[in-house]
Amino acid sequence: MNSLVLTLTEALRYRGGIGQWSWILHRVSGLGVVLFLTLHVIDTSWAVFYPGLYEEAIAAYQSPLFTLGEFALVACVVYHAYNGIRIVIFDFQPRWWKHQQRAAFAVLGLTAVTLVPVFALMLIEVIDHYGHSPFVLGLDRVLLAQAPFAVGIVVAIIGAVLLSGLVGLVTGGGEAGGRAGSKFERFWWSFMRVSGVLILPLVFGHLVLMHVVQGVFALTEAGSTIIGTRGLLNVSGTATEFVLARWNTSLAGPTAGVGLWKLYDIGLLLLVTVHGFNGLRYVLTDYTTDKPMLRRAATYLTLIAGVVLLVVGGAALLAGIEPTALDMACHAQEELGKTLSEFCQARIGG
Amino acid sequence: MVDVTLRIRRYNPEDTQNRKPYWQEFSLKDCHPSDRVLDMLHRVKWEQDGTLALRRSCAHGVCGSDAMRINGRNMLACKALIRDLFSPVPDSVKIQVEPILGLPVLKDLIVDMEPFFAHYREVMPYFINDDPLPANGRERFQTQEDRERFDDTTKCILCACCTTACPSFWANGQYVGPAAIVQAHRFIFDSRDKATAERLAILAEPNGVWRCRTIFNCTPACPREIEVTRAIGEVKLAIQRGTTEGIIKVTEIKEVVSNS
Repeated sequence: MNSLVLTLTEALRYRGGIGQWSWILHRVSGLGVVLFLTLHVIDTSWAVFYPGLYEEAIAAYQSPLFTLGEFALVACVVYHAYNGIRIVIFDFQPRWWKHQQRAAFAVLGLTAVTLVPVFALMLIEVIDHYGHSPFVLGLDRVLLAQAPFAVGIVVAIIGAVLLSGLVGLVTGGGEAGGRAGSKFERFWWSFMRVSGVLILPLVFGHLVLMHVVQGVFALTEAGSTIIGTRGLLNVSGTATEFVLARWNTSLAGPTAGVGLWKLYDIGLLLLVTVHGFNGLRYVLTDYTTDKPMLRRAATYLTLIAGVVLLVVGGAALLAGIEPTALDMACHAQEELGKTLSEFCQARIGG
Repeated sequence: MVDVTLRIRRYNPEDTQNRKPYWQEFSLKDCHPSDRVLDMLHRVKWEQDGTLALRRSCAHGVCGSDAMRINGRNMLACKALIRDLFSPVPDSVKIQVEPILGLPVLKDLIVDMEPFFAHYREVMPYFINDDPLPANGRERFQTQEDRERFDDTTKCILCACCTTACPSFWANGQYVGPAAIVQAHRFIFDSRDKATAERLAILAEPNGVWRCRTIFNCTPACPREIEVTRAIGEVKLAIQRGTTEGIIKVTEIKEVVSNS
């Protein structure tokens, strides 16, 4: 902690120029994205495992708190992506370093240029949504729905620290690795750059489809067209139907072949999770070098969290869909107090 | 003429009353815009407070012993002129001087350089070649191009301006730091040296080059204008590719030579 506080206060005091601010923004934006990624992968897996919970999660996403968070998230992703490109360019062409200041300002400029129209489109959706006196999940329920995540994160941290303490007792502590670590860090350095570039088109595609073209409010609009599904309609007006219809859309046709969006989401999940949690490992281990116990815990925490997300998200993507999923989603909407679609009324009535 | 207020970070471990670092201000009349920060520190020490502790030796930017943080940036006190810090120079200026960060402060502006030199020694900063001498028993030849590859990193004077400007080093004193990597670069890219693989292996460890997050604080901090972040980047590429071949292109070197 000392090391983190010292670095933060001195980074504010040291007049290091734009490069230093780019680095701080890159870390902060990365941490923001990883936090939302954790919620989002687990939430989305509920569309398959617990459709009721998924409806509640999407209702939370449609609440004002998450709307603010969505704007912040998009800003984080866009900045992190552009600044990442800058880092990759100067990593592979160190002789161009003289342009790095201009490049850092260009990243800020491009981020602003990208965000202005994106935010405008998102804002139009928000205004349009609230113009129809929509259902809004109360802040108490929104926060309550996030409580399991807070508990899960705390449990994961305590678990990692306990595990690290135990390993320390068994091995007598000290620094893990040594010379064997050299190829390890070299691999991760290359991976972060390659994965970062591969993520770019995937994550921008995802952002455009899910936050700009068809925002989060459209997920539960009965009768709306589901984006990327050759014109399928969301009959039930449940977020569950939206997700399942997309994952069932395949390259070959509506019912055969491998799911187009499943493949897309598997690629995105794999790259973003590994990139994100290795980035988190970088941040956590940077400030715990003088405390081997915490440093090990940081590695365990990111490893465990990354594996959990990959398993949960992967299982949801590969699992079969329960035929009763939509019924459960309809029931959940009723329980939340939403106005039900005709489809849901018929399902619940029957 | 300029009136200077010198705000200095003081610390005296022998003062039992006040064991914490504190700021102290000194007023200096009639300074010249071409005066160096070192001149002003001398005036304070010689005319106002003889207890002020600072390290300096040659006082001409060669020995590298008076690195300090001046107005928020690392530089050598003997190379920082008032007119470099302010342009145009007003009638009265305030200059803040504090020790470089990341190394233990011994007294006032003097830090313990030993951890810094320990990292320097880690990279084996000396010429290694156990091959038999050339037939004439004299020097090992090298083309001008080969010499030019590491010319920039021969300029380092080990003042620690770069290493103590690095947020990664502030956070983690075990990181070898920019200066040690610059010194390693000087031998890694020397065609006559035979220990490239060993040095690359040392710098490939978790507290080697990978702790560099390309923040670029080190490059403008260097009083010798060494392209520090570039040198670190070239070492990273050499580790990643497992060879120094093709990383610094000779054609560019020729341009540099003909331009200078």
